[in-house]
Amino acid sequence: MYLIDMLAISPQESWNGKAYLNNIRIVSGNKLMAIEPDYGDIIKPSQLRRMGKALRMGIGCGAELMKRNEELDGIIIGTSEGGLEGCISFLNQIVDYDEGTLTPTNFIQGTPNLVAGHLALISGNSGYNITHVNGGLSFENALTDALMLFAEGKAERLLVGNVEEISDYNFNIGYLAGLYKGEDSLSSGLIGSATPGTLAGEGSAMFVFGRSKQPDSLRLVDVACISYPTKEELSKLICRTLEGKGVSSSDIDAVIAGYSGDSRSDFWYDDITNELFPGASVYTYKNLVGEYPSSSAFALKLGFDLLRGDSVPAEIVKKETGRPLRNVLIYNHYRAKQHSLILISGDFSPEKDSSP
Amino acid sequence: MLQAQDEVYISGFGCITPIGSNAEECLSSLRSGKSGIRRPVLFQSKYASLYLFGEVSLSNEELLSQLDVAGMKGLTRTDLLAFKAFKEAVESAGLSPEEISSPDTAFVSASTVGGMCLTDQLYKDSNLLTNDSEYLDSYSCSAHANRIVERYQIKGPVDVINTACSSSANALMHGARLIRSGRAKRAIVGGVDSLSKYTVNGFNSLQILSSDRCKPFDSERDGLNLGEGAAYLVLERADELKGKKASAQLVGYGNSNDAYHTSSMSDEAVGILRAIGEAASMAGLSGKEIGYINAHGTGTENNDSVEAEAFRRFFDPVPPFSSTKSYIGHTLGAAGGIEAIISIMALGHGELYPNLNFSRAIQPQGLHPITEFRKAELEYVMSNSYGFSGNCTSLIFKKA
Repeated sequence: MYLIDMLAISPQESWNGKAYLNNIRIVSGNKLMAIEPDYGDIIKPSQLRRMGKALRMGIGCGAELMKRNEELDGIIIGTSEGGLEGCISFLNQIVDYDEGTLTPTNFIQGTPNLVAGHLALISGNSGYNITHVNGGLSFENALTDALMLFAEGKAERLLVGNVEEISDYNFNIGYLAGLYKGEDSLSSGLIGSATPGTLAGEGSAMFVFGRSKQPDSLRLVDVACISYPTKEELSKLICRTLEGKGVSSSDIDAVIAGYSGDSRSDFWYDDITNELFPGASVYTYKNLVGEYPSSSAFALKLGFDLLRGDSVPAEIVKKETGRPLRNVLIYNHYRAKQHSLILISGDFSPEKDSSP
Repeated sequence: MLQAQDEVYISGFGCITPIGSNAEECLSSLRSGKSGIRRPVLFQSKYASLYLFGEVSLSNEELLSQLDVAGMKGLTRTDLLAFKAFKEAVESAGLSPEEISSPDTAFVSASTVGGMCLTDQLYKDSNLLTNDSEYLDSYSCSAHANRIVERYQIKGPVDVINTACSSSANALMHGARLIRSGRAKRAIVGGVDSLSKYTVNGFNSLQILSSDRCKPFDSERDGLNLGEGAAYLVLERADELKGKKASAQLVGYGNSNDAYHTSSMSDEAVGILRAIGEAASMAGLSGKEIGYINAHGTGTENNDSVEAEAFRRFFDPVPPFSSTKSYIGHTLGAAGGIEAIISIMALGHGELYPNLNFSRAIQPQGLHPITEFRKAELEYVMSNSYGFSGNCTSLIFKKA
């Protein structure tokens, strides 16, 4: 499937095109909070006031893209947790008021399918509508869904995206589980950190994909995932996925790897890039946006920006080979349990594989 | 119409509901009109004495004793219900451990409550009032699926869907599509939800819980009963059956959004009609061939009148229909899976299960659900599921 349009709200200034690449923000502390745009033209003030951050970011990206791209055949969202701030408010009210009389707003806002549903509502889109909530693979599941819908001939254009917010709820639980660094940190020093834990992140990245080739030919070629793999099983999956698309590992010009600065699990990225892609450049992205279950959506936005020929900011370079970018592989894992691959290309040559 | 290589069969299933802790027990309750709606015994909430619920009768300890999950920590009731139904499903389809963990086997689950059934524990953990809680990885909608993936070493595609009350119907649809796309040869699909203070307080705040037994499609209906349960089905490509007897074929599905309101359906039934229409057209059916509809039929004012309106507009005449939520209550993320199994049992045994607690039809549609158990020649049945935020899904099964 082919990229038509995209937008991202993230801890970087990513709302306005690619300018963020020239001006990477550095954040201190262990939370990388997303910078929200002025939603004035996108969301009605009366609605905006009642929305939690996840909803605002998801609707902000989605509604703006839907304004720019009419006639979409469906909405596919990947989010591990949805609107947690609403969820925990409701939860706290239940306990604090001993199941007293509560208002439904927070309950409704806590349902993860609200972003997809609300986007359908405001655009009057009665087409395919679904929300994937499979933790660290939620966004990849959404992409797979879109690939299948195009292949089935059931869609010409689809909105696909993610949303995740940092709330007290997931941050505290994650903190107790040892997910985040305990010491003061700078996001610029995240990659290569020798301590356990990472920095929390959040954001929304949304994409309009089309079934047929677009003028700039940016293509999402395939997606593959595996849970709790051995290194052998993961390597096999990578090889099988590339082979299935007629790509060899030496064709991969760059790997965007999900290095999170967690000393316990970054070895996966070292091993895979060193052993399978020794000739490829290696770029990082979590030092820009932090760690969250559907962070690969931001990696995809970054990947497409780089394929469009923008210069690569030094901050994301783990290894530079100077190869021009044509095939880029995004490899990410979430807590070393759920691993995913997203293969994208800016292939300007005649199609080897014309399937969508 | 579907090509032979695209045919997806149901080779096994398992479920645990308020009317039985396996499919066979559920079938016998359906045949004898035995409802599972009652005052809860296990579920702790202020509302336990005010409303009626569909509670699974097995306690967590009883569930644990029937499962091979030794050594797994932090299991919630949601996880236990899921394990129970999953085990029955893979056994009934005769899947070997190697088949379950083959890269060709997908697993698509669904849940809306996840580990939030532990509302009080979650409150403590999320407000940093604990140390060394065993439940930190237990709360997500996907937590139960991760447990199953870990325990059964599932290496194929895994997904978890949350479209509120249509979640597991979409899991069935997604599993079938993974098979047809060549991404899997078989898929274990379904969903789970358990009773929780979170959902009880949520539905209470929306004022759609009934203090009586729910009365789907009755003019005097006054809300739904929350239920709990789990259901999984094994979908297999025709050439993977290898002589196994399949119980039905999944021949049609449609997914749509009503695009009207967050917690109610449009009077014109836009989403419902589109989902039904797409499922029927995929199966190459006009509607006349549908022999039975297992309706969403929650027993709320809004759902049942809009669903009845959709039936009146799409079908001529409206086929026999019933809501088996009158036995089980609304099991949210498990409902689509449980009702798919009931639809398949209806097909396989050639029988219709009545809609309990019905006396007078909703006007102006004037539609009467089936109110007595009876035998029927069935070729195709439809199962409908609708969720908050406008999510609508219809499935069509064909007798195998």
